[in-house]
This record gives sequence, C-alpha cells and structure tokens, in this order.
Amino acid sequence: MEESGGKVRALIEKATNSTASHVDSRLLKAIKTVVRYSDSEVRLAAQTLMDLMKRDHSQIRYLSLIIIDELFMRSKLFRTLIVENLDQLLSLSVGFRRNLPLPAPPAVASVLRTKAIEFLEKWNNSFGIHYRKIRLGFDYLKNILRFQFPNLQANAARIQQERRERAMKSMEILRNKFEMLTKNFTLIKEEIHSTVDEINECLEIARSKEENLPFGTLDDEDFDEFRPSELQQLRIDSLKEAEKIRENSENKVVFDALRELYKLLVTKHLVSLKEWISVLIRVEMADNSSRDSMLKDFIDIRNSLLSVKKKCMESGCSLPETEKHLKDEEEEDFWEEGKVEPSEIDSSSTPAEPSKKSLASTSEEVKIHTHKHNYENPKIKKPLVGQHGSTDSNPLRSKLMAEAPIMNWGSYLDNWGPKRDVMANYRGLELESHWGRVDYDAVIPAEKIAELSLPAMLYKEEQVEIQPCNAPLRKGGLCQRRDLKVCPFHGVIVPRDGEGNPLHQSNVPNNTNNQNTMVDDINFNLGDNLVEKLAEKAVKNVRNRDQEESRKRKFDKRLEKRAKLAKIREHNESVLRHAALASTSHSAVSGEEAEAASEEGHLFREKKETLASMLRKKVTSKDRLSKRLLNTRASDATIRQLTIGEDATYREAFPNQW
Amino acid sequence: MWREIRDREAGQTRPSSFKSRVESSRIADIQLSNYKEFVSPHRGSINSLQVDLTEGRYLLSGASDASAAVFDVQRAVDYEAGGLIAKHKFLFSVDKQCENGHKYAVSSAVWYPIDTGLFVTGSYDQCVKVWDTNTTQVVMNFKLPGKVYKTAMSSLASSHMLIATGTEDVQIRLCDIASGAFAHTLSGHRDGVMTVEWSTSNEWVLISGGCDGAIRLWDIRRAGCFLVLDQNRTQLGRRPPVLPRTSMNKVSTSGALSSSQHSFVKPRAIQKKPNNGNGIKPSSLSRTPSKVSVKQRLHPGLLSCQDRATAHYGAVTSLGMTQDGTYLLSAGSDSRIRLWDVDSGCNTLVNFETVRLQTSKTIQLATTHDSTLVFVPCMSSVKAFDIWSGRTITTLRGHYEYVNCCWFNSQDQELYTGGNDRQILVWTPSRLSPNDDPESTEDRDNWSD
Repeated sequence: MEESGGKVRALIEKATNSTASHVDSRLLKAIKTVVRYSDSEVRLAAQTLMDLMKRDHSQIRYLSLIIIDELFMRSKLFRTLIVENLDQLLSLSVGFRRNLPLPAPPAVASVLRTKAIEFLEKWNNSFGIHYRKIRLGFDYLKNILRFQFPNLQANAARIQQERRERAMKSMEILRNKFEMLTKNFTLIKEEIHSTVDEINECLEIARSKEENLPFGTLDDEDFDEFRPSELQQLRIDSLKEAEKIRENSENKVVFDALRELYKLLVTKHLVSLKEWISVLIRVEMADNSSRDSMLKDFIDIRNSLLSVKKKCMESGCSLPETEKHLKDEEEEDFWEEGKVEPSEIDSSSTPAEPSKKSLASTSEEVKIHTHKHNYENPKIKKPLVGQHGSTDSNPLRSKLMAEAPIMNWGSYLDNWGPKRDVMANYRGLELESHWGRVDYDAVIPAEKIAELSLPAMLYKEEQVEIQPCNAPLRKGGLCQRRDLKVCPFHGVIVPRDGEGNPLHQSNVPNNTNNQNTMVDDINFNLGDNLVEKLAEKAVKNVRNRDQEESRKRKFDKRLEKRAKLAKIREHNESVLRHAALASTSHSAVSGEEAEAASEEGHLFREKKETLASMLRKKVTSKDRLSKRLLNTRASDATIRQLTIGEDATYREAFPNQW
Repeated sequence: MWREIRDREAGQTRPSSFKSRVESSRIADIQLSNYKEFVSPHRGSINSLQVDLTEGRYLLSGASDASAAVFDVQRAVDYEAGGLIAKHKFLFSVDKQCENGHKYAVSSAVWYPIDTGLFVTGSYDQCVKVWDTNTTQVVMNFKLPGKVYKTAMSSLASSHMLIATGTEDVQIRLCDIASGAFAHTLSGHRDGVMTVEWSTSNEWVLISGGCDGAIRLWDIRRAGCFLVLDQNRTQLGRRPPVLPRTSMNKVSTSGALSSSQHSFVKPRAIQKKPNNGNGIKPSSLSRTPSKVSVKQRLHPGLLSCQDRATAHYGAVTSLGMTQDGTYLLSAGSDSRIRLWDVDSGCNTLVNFETVRLQTSKTIQLATTHDSTLVFVPCMSSVKAFDIWSGRTITTLRGHYEYVNCCWFNSQDQELYTGGNDRQILVWTPSRLSPNDDPESTEDRDNWSD
C-alpha cells in the first residue's frame, strides 16, 4: 500500500515535469489505473495535485490541471476532495486574485487560464447540480468578474438547432414538391407517353420508307476465310452503316420531327424525371404506399424513355451527333455576350439546311473564333508588349502599346487629352439660395485645369546595394548586417571569402582602401542601373543576362583594383608593421572577444529545454545588441577605428607621404 | 441518534436537553447547502443580514448598491434541477430607483423587533430610513452628521423605540421612531463609532465600539457611559468558573438549575433595577470587591485614565452579545476577538485562533442560541469558534471575496453569510438521510478506462 502510495505521487510528479503542452498519455493512463482501485490513492493524488498547483511555474500548474480534469471527470471522491478547495484551485489556475497572478512563463499562463475556464464550464455543466461550490465559482467568474466562458455546450446546442431547422425547411419544400407531383402526375405521364409514341411513329415511318430501298445482297460467306480479319471488320461495319436509316430529301420532314422530339425527350423529360425520382426518394410521408407506386411508375417510364432513346441512337448515328453539335454551338453562342452574330449563326446552322450543315458549321465556327479574337482585344486591355495572339491582327495598335509609357493611376487621368475650359458652376447644384450673385458662366480655363491635374511623381531613390558585413558569427553563418562603412560589431567592413575570413591581412590602410573601392562600386552600380533600365525597356530576357554580366564585371573590376592596391599595400605594410607593434590592432581584440563569448554561449545552448529554462528570460537580439554596444571596450574600439579611418583617408589622398 | 430518541421516548432525557443535543449535533456538521440558495439581486457587496425576530422567516439584507432586499427563508420561490435545488428569490427589494431611497451603500439593515411591518436601514449617504414593509415606502428619515456604520434596535425594549446609530461622528445618536427626532446624543468616543449593540438582558443598556478602540457601555437613562472596557484589566481568575459552567450547560439536564446558578453573574445586578441591585451587590462584591466599589464610586463621570482605556488596538469592528447578556464578544481591526465579562468589565483572556479579520469595515458576528459557538467572518471564510475555549470548530469556505456579515438562524440551525462577492450563502446541517440526495446517475465514478 505504501509503496503504491509513493507510486502515484511519483507518477504525477513525473507527468508534470515536462515542457510539453500535454500530459504523456501513457503516464496519464498509469495514473488513472493506479488511482482507480484505491481511495487512499485518490486522496493522495488530490493532495499531490493541489501541492503542484501551488508551484510557482505555470507549466507545472497547467499539466497538473489537465490531470485534475481527467480525474475529476471520473472519480467522485476526487471531485469532492477538489471541490473542497475549489476557490483555491481557481485562484491558482485562473489567477483572478490580483495579489496572486499566474507565475512565470506568460505564454503558458494564458493557456492555463483559458483551459481552466473551459474546464470550469465543463464541470459546471456536468456536475454543477451536485456541487454548490462549482456553481458558486462559475457564477462568480462569470457574473462578477465577467470572464468570457467559451460556452461550448450552448454553442453546440445552437448549431444542432440550426441544423434541425434547416432539415425541417428542406423537408417542407420536398413535401410541397411531392404534393405538386401528385396533382400533376397523370399529366406528366401523358405528356411523356405522347412524346414516346410520336417518336415511335416517326421511327416506324422512317423505317418503312427505308425498307423500300433495295439492299445490296451480301452472300459472300465463302470468301471469308481468305480475307484478313481487318478487312472483314471493315466490311461488317460498312454493312451495319448501310442498314442504318439514311436521311434524304424524302424523309427529311420525318427526321426533323424526330430530332425535335428526341431533343424534347432528352432535355426535358429525362431531366424532369430524374428530379421527380430524387424528390420521391427523399420525401418522408405518413404513408409511403402512394409514393412507392409513383416511384415504381416513374422508374418504368424512365426505363422506357431510355430504351426509346437508345432506339433513336441506333436509328440514325447522325442524329445524336448533330444534336450534340448543335447544342454545343448554341451553348457557345449563348454564353458569348454582346454579340450580333449569334442569331445569324443560329439561322444558318438550323436544321433547315442539313445537307450543307456539317461543312457550314465548321466554317462558321472558325469564323466565330476569329471574331472572338477581335472582340477580345479591346475588352481585355493587355498592358504591354509581347502578346502574340493579337499582335498580327492589329500591328499599329501593338506598336503604340509598346511605345506608351506606363502611368500610375491618378485623378489627372480624368482630364487626359482634352484641353478645354470647364464650367465652374455646371453641376446642377442648387445655388439659388446662396447669398450673392451666382455666375453661371464662370469658367475654369484649360491651363488652370492642366495645372490642377498635374500628375504627381514620386521621387524614387535608386536602390544602392550595400554589401553585408559577412564576418563570421559565433553561432555559425555570416553577419548579414549592412552598414556603409563600419559594422558596429565587427569593425570596418572588409571583403571576405565564403567562410567569412578576411581576404587580406586586415590592416588599417588596407581597410580604408577597401572602403574606397566599395564607394566606387556603388558609383559604378548607379551607372549600371541606368543601363539596366534601358535594357528593361528593350527586352525582358536580356535583363537577367545583363545583370549577371554586370555583376561579373563588377567583380572583375574589384579584383583588378585589389591587385592594384596590393602593391601599395605591400609597401605600406612594411611601414605599418612598426606602428602595429606599438598598438594592438582592433581585429585581434575583437577576435579574442568573440572567442570568449562563443565559449559561454555554447554552454548555454547545449542544455536541454527544462522547466527552469522556460522561466529564464529569452535573450533577444536586442539584449545582445545592447550588451555588445554598451560594452565600453567595443565602443572604444569603434571610435578608435573611425579616427584611424579618417587618418587613413588623408593618407590615401597622399599615398606616398609617410 | 436512535438511542437518544429511545431515551427521550422512555423519558430518560428531558425535552430541552434532547433539543439542545440535537441542535448542537446539527450545528456541528454545518456546511454549504447544495439544495438551498438565495438568488441575490444585489450588485454590490452585502453588508448586513438579519432574520426577523418574530417569525424567524424573513431575511433582510442590505448591500453596497444602496439596496435592501427581503427573502423568505422557509419557502422557495422556484426549484431547479428537478426540485433538487430550491431557489429563494427576493420577495421585494428597495434600491436607488425607489422614491426617497438611499443614494449610497446600505451599511446596516435591521428589522423592527416587534413585528415585520417596519425595517430600518442605515447608509453611507448619512441617512437612516425607516421603511414600511408592506408598501416598501420610506416612512421616516433621519439625517445624521456622517456616514452611518451601524444601526441597532433593542430586541427586548418595551418602553422605547430607539434606533441607535454608529456614525463617522464621535457621538452616538438615538433616533426615536415615535417622535421622529433624536432622543439622545451620547458623546464619549474620540473617533467614529463603528458598531453599536443593545444589551440582550437590559433594554436600557447600549454598547458601542469605536474607531478609537474603546468599547463603552451606556445606560441611556443617565448621562455619560458607565463603563469603558479595558483590555488590560483581565480576569484570569474568573475563567475556571466559566468552563464548568459551559460543561454544565451541556451536560446538566435542567435549564432551570443552570440559570439559577448563573443569575448572580448577570450584569443586571450592577446596574439599575434597584430592587435586584441591592440583593446581588453583596455577592458580586464578594467576588471582585475592589473593582465594583471603584466603579460604583466613579459612576457618572469616570476617571480620565479609565476613560481612555481601549479594548482593541485599532478600531472595534464588531460587537456581539451572548443570548443571556452576560458576555460580550468584540472583534477589532487588530484581528483579535475578545470575550468580555460584562459584569466585571474584564477581558477574559480567551484566545481565539483567528487568522485575519477585515479591518476597514463593520463586520457582523453571530452566536448560537445556547452561546456555545460564535461565527466570525475571517476574510473570505467564516470560522466557527467555541466561545469558551476559543478553539476553531470549523472553517466555512465558500465565498470568493471577503465576508462581511453572518446571521445564525437558530430555529433551523442555518447560517446565512453575505460577502463582497454579492452572494448570500446558506450553510445548513448536512441532510440526515442520504437517500434524499438523488446523486445516483450523474454524480458517480465514471471510469472509462
């Protein structure tokens, strides 16, 4: 007993000692199984959890609260134990007492609060009746402290209610439909029957006419063996084709009628049948007998319709095809807005001239397409050059488009072009009741208008590319700070290789030289940018290539310059070596510092995330910056560096003077 | 339980002792009631609670939102959760909207002791108003010179209708309902008067506690106060007789015997009632002869050193008399509760295990009928102490903010408490038969895994 007593405590402590946002489910299960079979365990668990709730760490409180909820929903004894001290629990988890705010990690604390409120609502909903204290706590937080409860249950109930209402409404609609159907049932049936009958008659007529025509006799079974199967297949197909009823001038009228009927059948009756059947299936009536019989009828009708349709298809292969074709065209025309042609096309492609139809229809289509293109152009304003499809049709326009400047949108565009005087009092405003005379003919002169609607242009600064510092950082990577001359952390900006090592021995004049080159680079860059602008206007594709080239050129030029400077450096170095002996160079100093810092940093980072680490304030980049900047040594070094830099520029101007 | 009933049936125990035994057993396991609750209409802290003294049925509450409400303690207005929870809604309430209503917080609300036709409210708007219960109208209005902290009416007065008021002002004024004017102005306190209480044994004796830490006893028929309680005048010697007395109270079967034993202790002896006074003076003299003689000699104007005596360090926030009027309980802002022997005016040195008491407000104590327990609001909980030993019997936690007042309904053995969280809570003895609680289906262990 005592052993297991220790067990639940240990389990709970283990479960709450984690930085995760939820309790390990295995541990939770273990806790539940341990607690389930003994009341003393429950007591111990409640005691332990309340103790944990008093810890000064939101994470621990959060995890214990989750465990409390799990046990609370299950064990009655646990409930009574917790409810005893509910006010304490609430003040520890919600933090509503001003003198007892929630402890440290603020992110977790807010989660803890929302969770606690949610749990309280849940508890109140399920056990509020039996525990006055839960009701009191809930009431207090809700009505007096005005905490926002998630109101889960009410929301769920509301959604349920809405859904039910929607279902009721749709049911009502279905019922109405069904009633309408019962009224119109015979009518619909008759209509369909008559259509079907007519189709059948038409087919009869057509077929009877066809039969009069002589068939080519086909009695060559004996040749079959000798012919290759493909040919045979071909022949059978042609025979079948021949069997089909052909349309000609004699039965044209019959076919027209047939086509129309077919269309009626497919587009109207079948669709409406489908609808009715779905209605019948979905509707819920008091007695289903009438519904079932109707449904049966409908299904029969549908089957008959389908069979008729199939017959029609068989009767003439051309029939459905043309239908489809026609439909396609019609649909297309229908959706094309603002066109004059459609009616013409319709008339030309109506079945009045079926013999020409296939050819005509295709040609018409082509025409339509070209028209479409022509219409599209003005509608969709292509902003610039490079649209291939439309260029050939309107070369002048595209040329103009290419030349046209791109303007920003603005109110000055309202008065683009016309140079007219504008009537000042021309707005139809009621001016009579104003005091003084009103000059109706007052005019704002055109110059004034032009002046007023002068397009505003914003000066856009040319983007100058500032090289990043690129000094190696202690956490890896390179310093991405972009300063003109001096990086506050790594001193003067020096060209560096991929790993951040300075390309040259960092010496004072050396650095300044580099600065100069950089300034040159920038100048060069400006010129280059102009070229780029031009290139951009001319061809888009060239631009990228050009950029690359310019970059390469830049690089080349820099190398050249470096090589040139190297010679001077060589000389200067020898001179400076003496000076260097007198004072430590800055780069050495900063190097030492960086090393020291990186060592301690490593110690920090290697640690695993623990509860204590959650409490520790995150060291932000701002902190680091301030630490670095306020370091007297660093600031001194920077100042020294800058003064030396000034010296160096002087020396640069007169390089041969020492 | 059953054995006691059998004893009672057999006539082995007397009805009164049986009753007190049942009562005390019920009081012992008092707890937050789950089946009875008041729906508080107040939107401010509740400062005062009182059940009427005639029927023991109507609870009057006064709150900081300048309102007062009356509840029916016996009959619930509606039920919830299938009749499990009885909700007692207020019968009526008076607030700012009322004509001539109070403007600021009602600090004290008391019933007229004779019937429930009137009640009296005192407020921070420096007014004491007398209300007609049936019309809920103000029938009388007394304008006082400062905030009213406490009003009191004597429960046994038969010859006067005075409302004693403790205010910011140093003087205690007695408002006469009969005439509508101030009948008396009692001066002596050096600071505001936090609390006033009428004696439960003598209709002329008024006790007041002030912010200067003094508790003064006044005989309203004479000028000045006749006693200032001094915390340093202690009475350890008197304690042994106290303890046997209480044990006797519990054990002894005859109430008459105990009352006869105590009669000589009562303060009535020292004061007025001239016929009694003569007879009892010798007995009291025999016990504490020197003190009594001093008191007697000094009576109208006390010695200045005695006049400066204090009962508490800091303000006296509450006073409560035992039912027999022999002992006085006082609570102060020094978080002490003291038990005074009114007879000798001595501190009995009972150590009440308080934690902390509210310091800035008048609080309201409640004693049980047989003077065994006192309920004291201790910050956000209410503690029940044994009066004679000072031990904590139970701690009643339920309020989420400070508790201001409590009232013990000895008829039903129920405790009503009101606090800053705007709730009036009911504490009842736990139900006798657990069968009544239909906890069956929902509130059960529910182990899904």
